Amino acid sequence: MRMGRYGRLYLNFLRFSFSRALEFRVDFYFRIVMDCAFYAVNLIFFSLLYGQTETIGGWDVHQTMIFIAGFFLVDAIHMTLFSNNMWWLPVLVNRGDLDYYLVRPVSSLFFLSLREFAANSFVNLLIALGILTWAIARHPGDLGAANLAGFGVLILCGAFIHFVLHLLFVLPVFWLHTNRGLGMVFFSITKLAERPDRIYTGVTRRVLMTILPLCWIASVPADVLFGGITTERVIHLLLVMGGLFGVLLVVWSRALRDYASASS
Amino acid sequence: MSGGLILHLIRLEASKLMSYRADFWITAVANLLSTVVVHWFLWRAIFATTGAEELGGYDFPVLMTYLILVNLIGRVVRGSDLQMGIATEIYDGGLSRYFLYPTRYLPFKYAQHFGSIIPEFAQMVLFAAILVALFGLPAGAGVTLTSLLLTLPALLVANLLYFLLSTPLQCVAFWADNVWSLGVLLRFASLLLGGAMLPLTMFPDWAAETLRWLPFVACYEFPVRVAMGDITGTGELLLGLARGLGWCGITALCTRPLWRRGQLGYTGVGI
Repeated sequence: MRMGRYGRLYLNFLRFSFSRALEFRVDFYFRIVMDCAFYAVNLIFFSLLYGQTETIGGWDVHQTMIFIAGFFLVDAIHMTLFSNNMWWLPVLVNRGDLDYYLVRPVSSLFFLSLREFAANSFVNLLIALGILTWAIARHPGDLGAANLAGFGVLILCGAFIHFVLHLLFVLPVFWLHTNRGLGMVFFSITKLAERPDRIYTGVTRRVLMTILPLCWIASVPADVLFGGITTERVIHLLLVMGGLFGVLLVVWSRALRDYASASS
Repeated sequence: MSGGLILHLIRLEASKLMSYRADFWITAVANLLSTVVVHWFLWRAIFATTGAEELGGYDFPVLMTYLILVNLIGRVVRGSDLQMGIATEIYDGGLSRYFLYPTRYLPFKYAQHFGSIIPEFAQMVLFAAILVALFGLPAGAGVTLTSLLLTLPALLVANLLYFLLSTPLQCVAFWADNVWSLGVLLRFASLLLGGAMLPLTMFPDWAAETLRWLPFVACYEFPVRVAMGDITGTGELLLGLARGLGWCGITALCTRPLWRRGQLGYTGVGI
């Protein structure tokens, strides 16, 4: 019953988002071109790297292309579902407009995280999916249905981790009243997720697998696709996701408690 | 435009940027740290796999110097590019007030843009000094006081060129609502094609040769090569600067009709 209500609400979000996106048609197309350029630049960059070496972090060019296509997909999911909402949240907090969302009879976290669906990025999501299909199709070895299914599930988990991390970097706006700096910090550190996790060693690797689990966004899913999933990995993933979501819920409730409406 | 007004605008923009000091420093430190970490691990892994002493003519320490320098210099070259000041003023009607000012719009905007890079420049010098104090300079990197001084004109040309490259894209705002994505597009393309993601010597020869004729090299690779002492002869330095200025001229010429046509259709209504 409750899920149905949230489902209907989300369908309304979709309807409004598509009609709004089509009001700004040129921007709609520009953004698609922009994301395509992002994909092209990264694919060319990795192709050039493989002009210098046979493997990077133990992966050959075919494996790396699947990894980077997986990253595009996670990025596109994030851009489509969450990114606009992350951009609006600081504005709502600083203007005091958050009040309108807090009094509604639905989860404020759900409403504020998913209200804006980026229709233009949805097209990019389809393009990213196409690139991933192409990368998987040209992989010389058989990847196996089980590994592919595991990869799909882990990519969705990666998108969730990406969203939670982004939101955790946005939430300090409740206390700092600006998140420009921290927002940029998030975009800077996501560069770490755009490279195969096996290149990182020592403390950096431990941090990127646990406290700041950027390696789980696309690199570990790709690793699972090539090598299969282990029980150890599943437990690790559940701990990372559970821990992150727990931290998010605590920070969110504290943020709402300290929120003092307009001009706070 | 008088020199006094230019100086005033530069001072004003610099102080505006510094009014969000914490954000300014946090952003810069995070950007530098993540850049260093990513490049260090990536290239260490590649050098270890290949067992090569040099890749694309660079050994590991010199390549790291190149990539860090290009990141620091790139921030100064781009300035506050993604704020898309011109496009915003066209879109919200803010451009109208400049018709009353006794000055020309684009030089005015460039003075503002230049002001916003002064703090970035100071930051670049500070970060470079800290990195050199901590890790020293690799033997193969020919960074000297002379090479650094020679970088200044290259940096000025690069900054002007990047501003001029983004101007026609911002002029599209006369016809479209939101052109922010075009600024991002320029950034992506210029980073790759200008040698900011990896040196041009790692591109196939035909591609590297073609890219040397494009404007992006003057924005990133050229100033870094000057700073690293790769460009020693006066002739080569002057040729590089002339190419950058040539592209400035070409871009300015392309912008002119676009600007005129846009102004004719401009209603000043805003959003």
